Amino acid sequence: MSTTEHAAVSPLLGAPPLTREDTARSFDRSRVHHARRHDKRWRLLWLLVGPGILAMLGENDGPSMIAYASDGAQYGLGFFVPFIPVLFAMAFVCQEMCMRVGAVTHRGYGELILQRYGKAWGWFGAGDLTLTNLVTLVAEFVSIRVGLAYFHLGSGVAVALGMTLVVFTLGGGRYWRWERIVLGMALFNGLFLLAAILVKPHVGAVASSFDFLPFPHGSFNTLLLLLASTIGATVTPWMIFFQQSASADKGMTPRDVKHGRYDTAAGAVLAAIFGVGALIAGAALLAHNGSGIQGFAGAGFPEALRHVAGGAAGTVFALGLVEAGAVAILTISASTAYAAGECVGASHSFNTSPRNAAVFYAANVGVALLAAMVILVPGAPLLSIALNANVLATVLLPVSLVFMVMLANDKGLMGAWANRRSTNVIGIAVIAFVGLCGAAYGIDSFLQTIHLVG
Amino acid sequence: MRKHAPHSSDTIAGIREQDLQRHERFEDELIMHLERDQFVAETSRPVPRVALGARTAAGLWALRVFVVLVSLMVLYTFIQQLH
Repeated sequence: MSTTEHAAVSPLLGAPPLTREDTARSFDRSRVHHARRHDKRWRLLWLLVGPGILAMLGENDGPSMIAYASDGAQYGLGFFVPFIPVLFAMAFVCQEMCMRVGAVTHRGYGELILQRYGKAWGWFGAGDLTLTNLVTLVAEFVSIRVGLAYFHLGSGVAVALGMTLVVFTLGGGRYWRWERIVLGMALFNGLFLLAAILVKPHVGAVASSFDFLPFPHGSFNTLLLLLASTIGATVTPWMIFFQQSASADKGMTPRDVKHGRYDTAAGAVLAAIFGVGALIAGAALLAHNGSGIQGFAGAGFPEALRHVAGGAAGTVFALGLVEAGAVAILTISASTAYAAGECVGASHSFNTSPRNAAVFYAANVGVALLAAMVILVPGAPLLSIALNANVLATVLLPVSLVFMVMLANDKGLMGAWANRRSTNVIGIAVIAFVGLCGAAYGIDSFLQTIHLVG
Repeated sequence: MRKHAPHSSDTIAGIREQDLQRHERFEDELIMHLERDQFVAETSRPVPRVALGARTAAGLWALRVFVVLVSLMVLYTFIQQLH
């Protein structure tokens, strides 16, 4: 394919100047048009899936899978087996809006907020994203380190692996290439399902746990922490930025919204299944008084699983943690890069070369490098960071969600694709639930810390 | 061994013209697969700003302040737990 770095006047009458980004995207679109014209349904689906599955499986990251496994190790299957799919149904509602806004406006979340509602709101959103992404990226490197520790490999290898993947996937200057590599890696999130099978769970116990019982016991604060960290494991600010920007970068149009919904739904279903897999694997430790929590702090969660369920289960779980951390590093770095490019008004596409999108590529590599450096600091509180990453994301999420709903309702931008009433009702309920859980945990923990409540 | 006839300057110019036309046709076909508002030149233009109503703005600021306060509480608790 012939491409030009700089804008050239298109030979088509009245067409805007053509850039390398346009040419690359139109090449991808030509394949979509061809598949649609020749009624090749599976080919069309294959071409249009990506951002939804990546957002959902990217969120099945290291801290999330550890949170699910810890839930299982502490409380067993009851309540959480049905709760995880409910949370991913909530995530679907939010992510479908992101995909739709991206496909209709061809713009990312950050730039729309900045341009539509003013710089202050845009920069607040970018600030929230940078903070949560940085903390979460540290947690992802911790996850890789925990997984590799099972194979007696240290933090240096974890950093080298993570950074190599970031640099390798950025090569080529094509969105399609980046998406397909990360998509291929993300499917290995299924290792958690394999781990669940290897611990040989009682099928009847899994089936009977769909009645939300028994409800988790323990203090009010513990329950709030569980809710906040589990919510933070399914819906986060980076997913909103990522899926909208990736949908626009992929070149999706309103005609592709139906397939975008399939993509998002497939991601939600797969993520829920693999998340429940991690929960079931963790539940194998329940009979050992939740030794997973102590084990994670000490010898490692996979090690604890090896003692209880055998070497294969421990190995698969360890590999799963490496995969979960690696994929999340790629998607979270990408969301930071999109936001950085959009907020400073610079080029922000995988279809642009590093020379023409320096901010985008620098932010992508820079944020991952910064997080990687943290885990190399001797004595850094890595475990605490990993466990608090999801909670911080939950606390900061409501503002991002409110703006998402506002954008999806903006008739000036969305026209006939604006939210329906039913979507708004569900969206507002999700925001209220997330906001309530995050705020309740934050306030209750703070009051306990300053000894105002027991 | 087969000998190639030397190209005259007219022939070379003709081939170049054909290549150029083929290239332009290829780019024309590609461009037709993009919607007009998908071009970088179009997406680089900012969307018009909307004025938020007084109630909406107040609600958003209240939510923003609340979220910052709760975030500070979470960070304080996190730092205290480290000790």
